[in-house]
Amino acid sequence: MTEIKSLRDLPARHLLGAGTPMCGGCGGLEALHQVYDLLGEKTVFVNAAGCMTLLAVYPFTPFRGSWLYTAMASAPAGAQGVRDALDILRGQGRITPEEDLQVVVLTGDGSAYGMGLAATSGAMDRGLDFLYLCYDNEGYGNTGQQYSAATPHGAHTATSRGALGYPGYKKDLFSIWAAHRPAYVATVSPAHPVDLARKIETARTRQGPRLVIALSPCPTGWDYDPAETVAIGKLAVECGAWPLKEYRDGRVEHTRVPKKRRPVVEYLERQGRFRHLFHPVRQDALLAEIQARVDGYWAGATATGD
Amino acid sequence: MYRIRFHGRGGQGMKTASRIIGTALFLAGYEVQDAPRYGAERRGAPIFAYVRADRRSINERGVIDRPDLVAVADDSLVALPAAGVRQGIDSHTVLLLHGRTPGAAWQERLNLAGPVFTLAPAAHVEAGHASAARVVGAVARLLGVVDRDTLIAAIRRELAGLGDSELAANTRDALAAYDELADQHGAVAEGGAVVSRDFLPPRWIELGLDVAALAAPAIHAPATSTAVQTGLWRTVRPVIDHARCNRCWWLCSTFCPESAIAVGGDRVPVIDYDHCKGCLVCVTQCPTHAIDVEPEEEGTPEGGRS
Repeated sequence: MTEIKSLRDLPARHLLGAGTPMCGGCGGLEALHQVYDLLGEKTVFVNAAGCMTLLAVYPFTPFRGSWLYTAMASAPAGAQGVRDALDILRGQGRITPEEDLQVVVLTGDGSAYGMGLAATSGAMDRGLDFLYLCYDNEGYGNTGQQYSAATPHGAHTATSRGALGYPGYKKDLFSIWAAHRPAYVATVSPAHPVDLARKIETARTRQGPRLVIALSPCPTGWDYDPAETVAIGKLAVECGAWPLKEYRDGRVEHTRVPKKRRPVVEYLERQGRFRHLFHPVRQDALLAEIQARVDGYWAGATATGD
Repeated sequence: MYRIRFHGRGGQGMKTASRIIGTALFLAGYEVQDAPRYGAERRGAPIFAYVRADRRSINERGVIDRPDLVAVADDSLVALPAAGVRQGIDSHTVLLLHGRTPGAAWQERLNLAGPVFTLAPAAHVEAGHASAARVVGAVARLLGVVDRDTLIAAIRRELAGLGDSELAANTRDALAAYDELADQHGAVAEGGAVVSRDFLPPRWIELGLDVAALAAPAIHAPATSTAVQTGLWRTVRPVIDHARCNRCWWLCSTFCPESAIAVGGDRVPVIDYDHCKGCLVCVTQCPTHAIDVEPEEEGTPEGGRS
């Protein structure tokens, strides 16, 4: 396992091919390219339907190995089949341990938080040896940003156009996964590449179900200038709305605790999907509720790490 | 019947422009269809939208392949085959291009018999941004059946949700373009009815079906996506000033979502203009501010767009 201490330990060579149809400034693609650099070429991706379906539009692929496309709810089942096939080939001596592949599910939040959750739960129950990467852009981005179970409270989406935005609350998928007691669960942000790299290294070297959610700022769905993707990703962490944490061996640890959290409004006001909370009338009660929920989270969190 | 086709890049607002024109024609008493083409549209990638308007019922459906007016938000799309700007244009088709190249030059370059009007970007309009409002005003003028008040009402109806200042700015830009093209009032003629008995099949060469092994071979080459020149999406380009670059080597390269910035052993970052989509994340993240922004048309010719 490579120890990642600083940005200088990150891989210099990028494996993911350019020329994909993802939007300019895509936070999900930023996360994927950082993850792929660490996993290496011996990776097979099982892709649930979503934005990243478009990555490998025949005959073009940004990957250097195989890619399997599944329906939205069945990527973990696809991963089971691939893992089983690899195990059979290894058992028969038809591939060497060095030729074995890392099986990675690649999925958006629509699938991970919603319609693919039962299949993910089942895969954890079976102890499937796979890595699950969710690029979370907090809505069904590929079809025009309808709300998903990952949409934050108050955000405007194509299907939550009321004065107060989405009435529901972002599902705590991290805790749902951790309750299954899998080998590893983590949240990451591509705006924090060292933290991301450490966690992917941990996930890569463990056995069993390993699940990672990457907060993926989405200029198209969140309505901000694509150049701001990293700035918004950093703000999400610094205001405490996106806690960076990991679960392993029965314990949850925060890997980065903002010493002084910035007000959540600084994060919200830079995104068009929250514009209605500021204009034409400032929705003070709702903004206070969002801030109180973040404060409440951190009051209850066991703060460890740096 | 008026058949109007809109071309733009995802994010330039041409889908909204088509809605405004559709609404304006509806308010002017027409039966209207307006629809964007659903597909893999992405910020920066070519997008299409269609408006049909008639005094009688419209029985046509689908894409417009014999346009009376083609409105293009960004004249760099003309050279892009995937954008299909020239598809189905004949001598009666009016072409409206937002850009600085004069109409006569386009007529000569493209060997077009029909009229070509160009709409220079307004002084306050950055390259590639906010061209949609000007296109809306120009289209309304070229049609000649939408008066000022109807245009203003249609813009208000479609953009009221953006707030007063956005609404005012868009209305002002649209009306400025409407006035600039006063001499071309009603330049667009309605196309005749299309009836099925006049249908001529396209002169395609019929190719027989190949067996799957030939028609859909496995892809063993890695990262074939690099054959796709997404650099053509760009309206502005980042340019590294190597004198100011402190050779940190990882930052712009790690944050670039596209894997479009490579660094060699000498730690000098190099931007791959064939694939850079111009999101400018690198510009915002460079700690020494060593990356400048240039409008694409002033970019160096050895860059991706040749």
